[in-house]
Amino acid sequence: MTQRPDPRRDAWSGARDIVPLAVGVAIYGLAFGLLAVQAAFAPAQIGVMAAVVFAGGSQIVAAQQLLAGAGAVAALVAGLALNLRLLLVTASLRDVYAGRPWWQVALGAHLATDENWALLLAQRAKGREVGYWYLVGGGMCLLLVWCLATLAGAAFARAMPAPKSLGMDFAFTAAFIAIARSLWHGSRDLLPWLTAVAVVAAAIKLAGVAPSWALILGGVAGAAVAGVARDD
Amino acid sequence: MTETWRVILGLCAGTFAIRLSGVLIGQRIPASGAWARGLRALPGCLIVALVAVSLLSGGAREWGAGLVALAVAVATGNLPLTMASGIAAIWLLRQFG
Repeated sequence: MTQRPDPRRDAWSGARDIVPLAVGVAIYGLAFGLLAVQAAFAPAQIGVMAAVVFAGGSQIVAAQQLLAGAGAVAALVAGLALNLRLLLVTASLRDVYAGRPWWQVALGAHLATDENWALLLAQRAKGREVGYWYLVGGGMCLLLVWCLATLAGAAFARAMPAPKSLGMDFAFTAAFIAIARSLWHGSRDLLPWLTAVAVVAAAIKLAGVAPSWALILGGVAGAAVAGVARDD
Repeated sequence: MTETWRVILGLCAGTFAIRLSGVLIGQRIPASGAWARGLRALPGCLIVALVAVSLLSGGAREWGAGLVALAVAVATGNLPLTMASGIAAIWLLRQFG
């Protein structure tokens, strides 16, 4: 199977496969739209932000900071700290971007999120040959859903219940559990994964590190353990 | 320019710089040896770390729902089904647990 997959078909299947995750994104988009209105965002600002930032967690954190009166700098720092993990996400996709023209690299980088990244890796672990256009197709679908949902949230969601009361805060946790299961290659993953969990737990519970940094410490520590292991 | 626009443009520029830096760093990591092994293991470790952060911010109910989701994931390998089971489990545990 050295044949390159057809870009258009690859993009469509990326968009189709992401639909369950896009439902979760839509719920959070509605919640963010409502929050942004409370934080005195204009509709144009909500739509522009959804399209050009396209990192939901950081948008929510930044809007919460503004709403709490913490100021623009604090909002920016909190949002960007949460997004630092995306550096690890795009770094781990190096074969996806390798040899692409600059505009495809820029597009693919902007469209990389936790969801389409993890989904691409899970499909590969199942033996499917998916690549750049699968990532972009999934990202485009999420971008569209995110923009529409945040605008709908701003317009209509005054009476919407909080995602947590519906259990929707658990949608992504459950999704990442499913994706971790498909990335499991056997016993050689055990030590790196346990290291990641132990470092996250120690950082948060013992050292009081903020979750966005604990996440990065855990991921990098696990990868470092795998790097120094001699088993391939 | 208002405070809101400053935050939007700052997040846009900063987030894109983060994403692009990752691409550039990834391209420069050696294709074999310890660095390559580490980079190959990174996604699994990062996803496990994401799950750990999310469960640690909750309590016993979150861990319970996480176990339900893990059981469904191991049994079926099905993403939508695992999501639905996890959401149903956390909802039930919060209502009645």
